[in-house]
Amino acid sequence: MTPNVTFAHISLSDADSGHLKNRKSAAMAESKDAADEFPCRLTLNIPFPTPRLASTALRAIAVDRELSPLVRRSFSLVSAAEQDSESTEQNVLCVEYTASTNRSLRVAVNGFFESIGVVVSVMKELDVDVAYGPVEGGLDGVQGLQGVEG
Amino acid sequence: MIALGLEGSANKIGIGLISHPSSNKPPIVLSNLRHTYVSPPGEGFLPKDTAIHHRAWVVRLIKQAVRQAGVKIEDIDCICYTKGPGMGAPLQSVAVAARTLSLLWGKPLVGVNHCVGHIEMGRAITNASNPVVLYVSGGNTQVIAYSAQRYRIFGETLDIAIGNCIDRFARTLMIPNDPFPGYNVEQLAKKGKNLVDIPYAVKGMDCSFSGILAAADILAHSTNEALPDGKRLKTEDGEIVTREDLCFSLQETVFAMLVEITERAMAHVGSKQVLVVGGVGSNERLQQMMGMMARDRGGTVFATDERFCIDNGIMIAHAGLLEYKTGITTSLEDSTCTQRFRTDEVFVGWRD
Repeated sequence: MTPNVTFAHISLSDADSGHLKNRKSAAMAESKDAADEFPCRLTLNIPFPTPRLASTALRAIAVDRELSPLVRRSFSLVSAAEQDSESTEQNVLCVEYTASTNRSLRVAVNGFFESIGVVVSVMKELDVDVAYGPVEGGLDGVQGLQGVEG
Repeated sequence: MIALGLEGSANKIGIGLISHPSSNKPPIVLSNLRHTYVSPPGEGFLPKDTAIHHRAWVVRLIKQAVRQAGVKIEDIDCICYTKGPGMGAPLQSVAVAARTLSLLWGKPLVGVNHCVGHIEMGRAITNASNPVVLYVSGGNTQVIAYSAQRYRIFGETLDIAIGNCIDRFARTLMIPNDPFPGYNVEQLAKKGKNLVDIPYAVKGMDCSFSGILAAADILAHSTNEALPDGKRLKTEDGEIVTREDLCFSLQETVFAMLVEITERAMAHVGSKQVLVVGGVGSNERLQQMMGMMARDRGGTVFATDERFCIDNGIMIAHAGLLEYKTGITTSLEDSTCTQRFRTDEVFVGWRD
């Protein structure tokens, strides 16, 4: 199954947005501090064909901690709320980034996209149902190639 | 048992599948693929670009390796990847692929120390029983001997690796990086005749190369053919010193240093065998000089060919499978990478 990453719902916001509505006052104070320190935010929603793939992506990426102290990141699995379907399948990987500067936010998110790109291409080419298919992309300059029978 | 190995700590991405048949039969290389990120002459490889290269190649190399090995996913016991040491971004780019594969295929992960991978592959290929190991590459320079379940570091570089010294010197002379700069330096050195004085920096069991690189770089400028004859570097006899002479002189100097610290370790340990691993180990002059020293001591030098001494995935699969067979796996949460990973941090439970 090919995960569809071309449709990734992204929302950007600054500190004083509707994110702070509907929270209890203590939590609101906490998140206001956090919002002051990390005013630049980005939320990514990446749909996968199945919950198994979404959870695999989450687990594979979450291992590496965020390198910059200026950036905070959290993952969750959510269901696709946009479609009008009955499905409550948690097949969407939701990533929330908050950062103290736009630059560090951009760098962190770019790094995330590079890693998720590897995850998705592994899923596309090497999952249990597709791993024996043809090899895409060319093998120019590869050492150790040998002809394969059959 | 069969293991898949993923290696990407420097500019080579290597994927290999190895089989350890039951009983004491030797391991079988099922497939060993590698692609090298070659930078233009005069440039080195930076972590970011190297990681981009690895991300672009990792999936098709794994797919092709599995194909060539003729195995099914069910046959594979574990997925081994380089935990370190090495360059951060390239290591991480390969580790992400390893983790994803581990989850999709339902196979355990084994994080492998790159240096231990080189050592174990060298031992397997050459059947050296208990050698002093000289591990020399672009990123590492260590003299290692095995003792009580650890690969102990007897001597090492105090600053840069010998391969790094040679590679950066190649950049100064704009020597091409294809297939790897050290190879082209070696070919030029074969045509060198004059031995130029270059600093020699052995410090006890250790050695140092950054000063030698600085000196060689300065000398390199006076071998520029565009300079008028009066400004060119000359030998005592008035012969003009060429790039070939410099390559020759650099090799003779740094390799002699390696021979000295290796011999010192052999004397300490009482060993008669030397195993040379790592990319610089493919240099024929180094093998020749090491051979002369070993023969003088009544010993032998062991070396492997480029398939195994240059970074490759098979060595990771092999060392990882050895570790896996002692019951060690790396949990997903621990499957990080680290730029610094000492060779003696690994518990060598598969040896007595």
